[in-house]
Amino acid sequence: MAETDATGKSLGDAASSAGTVALENRNGTAVLRVGGALDLALAPKLRQLAERAARLEPAVLVIDLTGVTFLASAGMAELVRAHRGRTASAPLRVVATGRITLRPLQLTRLTDELVIYPSLSEALATG
Amino acid sequence: MTTPGFDDLLGAVRRAFVDGSGAPVATGVRPLEPAEARAVLGDHVTVAVTDRALLADLVPGREITAAIAVAGDGRGALVHTTERVGGTPSAVAEAVDAATAHLAGAVRRLRSEAAVLDALHSTGRELTAHLDIDRIVQDATDAATQATGAGFGAFFYNLVDEFGESYTLYTISGVPREAFERFPMPRNTEVFAPTFDGAGTVRSADITQDPRFGKNAPYQGMPEGHLPVCSYLAVSVLSPTTGEVLGGFFFGHPEPDRFTARHEYLAEGIAAYSAIALDNARLYERERNLASELSRSMLPVVPATPGLDVLTRYLPAATGSKVGGDWFDVIRLPSGATAFVIGDVVGHGVTAATVMGQVRTAIRCYALLELPPSEVLRNVSALTGGLFGESFVTCFYAVHRADDGTLTYANAGHLPAILVRPDAEPEEIGEALAQPLGVGAEFPQRSTAFPPGADLVLYTDGLVESRTRDLTLGVEWLLAGIPGLLASADLGPAWDKLVDELTHGRHDDDIALIHVRNRGEDGA
Repeated sequence: MAETDATGKSLGDAASSAGTVALENRNGTAVLRVGGALDLALAPKLRQLAERAARLEPAVLVIDLTGVTFLASAGMAELVRAHRGRTASAPLRVVATGRITLRPLQLTRLTDELVIYPSLSEALATG
Repeated sequence: MTTPGFDDLLGAVRRAFVDGSGAPVATGVRPLEPAEARAVLGDHVTVAVTDRALLADLVPGREITAAIAVAGDGRGALVHTTERVGGTPSAVAEAVDAATAHLAGAVRRLRSEAAVLDALHSTGRELTAHLDIDRIVQDATDAATQATGAGFGAFFYNLVDEFGESYTLYTISGVPREAFERFPMPRNTEVFAPTFDGAGTVRSADITQDPRFGKNAPYQGMPEGHLPVCSYLAVSVLSPTTGEVLGGFFFGHPEPDRFTARHEYLAEGIAAYSAIALDNARLYERERNLASELSRSMLPVVPATPGLDVLTRYLPAATGSKVGGDWFDVIRLPSGATAFVIGDVVGHGVTAATVMGQVRTAIRCYALLELPPSEVLRNVSALTGGLFGESFVTCFYAVHRADDGTLTYANAGHLPAILVRPDAEPEEIGEALAQPLGVGAEFPQRSTAFPPGADLVLYTDGLVESRTRDLTLGVEWLLAGIPGLLASADLGPAWDKLVDELTHGRHDDDIALIHVRNRGEDGA
């Protein structure tokens, strides 16, 4: 059963006009579910919650892009930051499938270094 | 003076339940929910409840002979009995209520004050959450007109255009705009002067009796057909940062003496919030213009390129705040070759524009050293990562050599370029060659023939993708539009038309593009 961030909904969920990011803590794995347009407007929210997730010191950080309808370069920059930035602490897994999210990651060759799973359950299943 | 606590009050009321001989009778206490207490008691502290139906509702199945409802400290209860009682309980209820009448009045007053503050606070939150001036002024005018109970309200506000000239616009509420449009803008007549000078609020029970009224030629009083103003209230809107007058609220009512001190207080409150919102909007606009100006000022003058026709476009984001990251460059190299650069810095505003300027300069430097494309991007990537921390810059870099008719290119995470050779379909080149600058370390380069008659198109993502149009589809549409574009006599208008079609005239991201056509004449 997923456990919602103890800081509560108002802090754990960050919404922008077009997208949402929610942080869940699943038995030591921090899951950031992103929905809507992950662009310049939402990127700061993703960064904010990724940094909060890092403070939970999870074994693994999963960023789930399944609900993303538009992945702009500002969003991809945050994936790189979560993967190898100064505040990155846990191994990152990215859930991306389909051309909306996978295509931009291929064009920028971020697929070379990001560990990508087709579904959240597969990202969580791997030990 | 301290007010009696609820338990004291409840005890006193229970002791009032006595029989004909003055001996206490058994009473029951039924707590009242806040909603029930409000319904039964209204603003009273104690009330004798005699309504049979209500009693049957509150205490079902009992033959109630007397009951008194009590409220205090946010609690409520109904004291009741089924025994015969003397006439005292209701008398006690009246006595308590009379004694606490001033309290009930105070409670009423405080509740109403709280409602006023609530309304003002939520209006303030709404107003200051926006950066769109048109929306702010209309919302503020509507809210203030409603809050003051005015027959109609108007908000005149000053803006400064791109040439630094000040001009005045207005919004109205409560009457159709046509009712206003026949009249000239309020000038600094004696009535309006205090508001536009920021001298203070004007509140008049009957402005037509005001000595300042009607002194402005040519109307001499109320212009014919003017909205019938009798009660008048006007409040200045002053910038909290500069103190300058941003505009003024004007409220009118056809009847006299409609505006109270509270209306004045509310109007001043909304004016203060409006001032903050307008200030924010103006600062935001200024930042946006600055980023746009900065980006434009850093755009290159395209040098003469013998044998090549070069068309460029830079369109800053039409909506939102995303101006500032895209750029293009065309560089004549010492060897006679020409370098073409297109790129996109993630971020927006002044920060992105300045990073862009530095990345552009860095690329120019390495380009002029005639380093091969893969080396140019490798060096710039190392520099970018070091200079700007965690940065993310996509860039397509291509060099055309007229002497051997080749195009050599490398691509740092940017969209592929479009190459159209004579009598061939458009093809994409350089797709997914390497990671963005600041992220990647290796940037393999490719070479292809770029013969006379060939076209090369470099572009940024604003042209092909948006929240409502995914990249794959956008690129397909762009490719589909290329043959028609190439067939047109004049590339400039053809590109403007295609950009418009692809973005529906509302690109919410920057767009930069370069179109190179190899004319095939001797490059001298």
